[in-house]
Amino acid sequence: MSDGARPARPRPPATAAPAPVERPTEREPPPKPFLLDFLPLESEKETRLARFFARLAEGRLSTTRCPSDGRLLWPPRTACPYCHADGLEWVDLPTEGRIYAFSAVLAGAPMGMEADVPFAVGLVDLAGVPLRLFGRIEGKPWEALRIGATVRVETYSVPDGRWFYRFRAEE
Amino acid sequence: MNGRSVAVVGGVTTKFGLRSSTWGELAQEVGAALFRAVPALRSEEVDSLFVGAAEPERLAFQSHAAPYVAEQMGIRPTRILQRTELACASGQSAIRSAYAAIASGLSDVAVAVGLEKMNLPSMAEANTAMACVMDRAWDGPAGATAPPFFAMVAQRHMLEHGTTEEQLAAVSEKNHRFANSNPSAQFHEKTFARDRLMRLPLVAPPLRLGDCSSMTDGAAAVVLVSEEAVGRFPDPPAWIRGSGQYSDFHNLANAGSLTEWTGLTHASREALHRAGIGIDRVDFAEVHDCFSISEIVEYEALGLCPPGQGGSFVAEGQSDLGGAITINPRGGLLGCGHPLGATGVAQAVEVFTQFASKAPAARQVPDPEWALVHNLSGSANVHSVMVYQRGGAS
Repeated sequence: MSDGARPARPRPPATAAPAPVERPTEREPPPKPFLLDFLPLESEKETRLARFFARLAEGRLSTTRCPSDGRLLWPPRTACPYCHADGLEWVDLPTEGRIYAFSAVLAGAPMGMEADVPFAVGLVDLAGVPLRLFGRIEGKPWEALRIGATVRVETYSVPDGRWFYRFRAEE
Repeated sequence: MNGRSVAVVGGVTTKFGLRSSTWGELAQEVGAALFRAVPALRSEEVDSLFVGAAEPERLAFQSHAAPYVAEQMGIRPTRILQRTELACASGQSAIRSAYAAIASGLSDVAVAVGLEKMNLPSMAEANTAMACVMDRAWDGPAGATAPPFFAMVAQRHMLEHGTTEEQLAAVSEKNHRFANSNPSAQFHEKTFARDRLMRLPLVAPPLRLGDCSSMTDGAAAVVLVSEEAVGRFPDPPAWIRGSGQYSDFHNLANAGSLTEWTGLTHASREALHRAGIGIDRVDFAEVHDCFSISEIVEYEALGLCPPGQGGSFVAEGQSDLGGAITINPRGGLLGCGHPLGATGVAQAVEVFTQFASKAPAARQVPDPEWALVHNLSGSANVHSVMVYQRGGAS
């Protein structure tokens, strides 16, 4: 588009150097970029599920249960998707389960996981509750895993201080 | 009540594969090819554009994708311009949205385009984008991507029904053979015999490289018009007679059975019911073989064979040309590659090509009247189905 007919924009007059800007002596560090990894944000400031992660740090895997209809909900939530009640309560989950299905990532890992290859993943039926959770399975190479084998739940911390959970195959 | 009748009256597909083109260049290419292939279509009469694109934010670093693609294609919509995103079903979503718009009278002439650029300098970056299709914050940290999920489907199907690795390879062999007669397919002119497929490296056991559709660049576009305008286009129209969709979970913990895809059963029954036919009337189907095991489970969920019998159905040639029903004559996602947004649109292009009897003989279904198109998305938690009927040539 031509703007040849438009009058030239007036230029600001040349001046002396601008007045110095006052700067704080100590700057807050800029917030770290997020959504560059897969882990959820975990602090009270960022999520209403901070208690889940605080419990992970204590070695406890927990989730929410709806007090109105009694359903155990995964992942933990702030409102029940069935009866739409809020005010969900926290419950600890069993620490043991059995492998329902498993595979392994031998190629095509996302960023940050390339060094973990090969790693095993699976769906695990937690003992005594109607929950089948997906997760990493550590402790044995994938070739040695079997459907029906017992695994334990364990929590672990990542280098930036966040926590997550995984399964460990028993010897 | 389905509103006005709507038909696909033309379409094109770019070459699928590892393309030396940007995402925007794929949009230019498919736009130019569409207007050349459908001379009866004038760009100024296209009142609406639906852009099926799964992850341009991550794969092309571009948001506000629909106007970007419109400019690349040379289309200036005056009624509806929007992007449709449903991961692997984004292309069919574009077609379904165009169908709804025309049926309701909001649009008269619409283009549905699908496109994806998946090959990046860092494939780990592309794999990250793919992993975000899952429940990123809860399944993602464990490394949930499509291959290990569908591998677990295969493992359970083998356990519950005795399905074999050779039956998985039979799906891949068939679809690669069809792709051999499809010049736009990524694996055109490449032969994959069953015994070779069974020796390829494991990606996610028990799935091997040949059991997995690939990361692919490509685009496809179709023109949809109302019954009033169909007569202006010379080839037989592909009438949209029904559609159905079903979504029942997202987090993997809520998947239930891995081997019974009831969502597909619901979606296909809805689509066939709207079309007023049963599955036995369908001459061929384009189904979502993102992995070899997917096609086997889909035979069962569509009611083409009894539950658990999908493996023998393909091994006996029942889903091949000349069998009970031809499945994936285009070459499927396994043979054509799977540029997420483009796949659903390319399947519709195949329906149009088959109805016009313009496919090469090696994959032409004889005199087809009814076709079904299926896409799943994510971890098979959403199923989208459309049913087409061939109309008379003008």
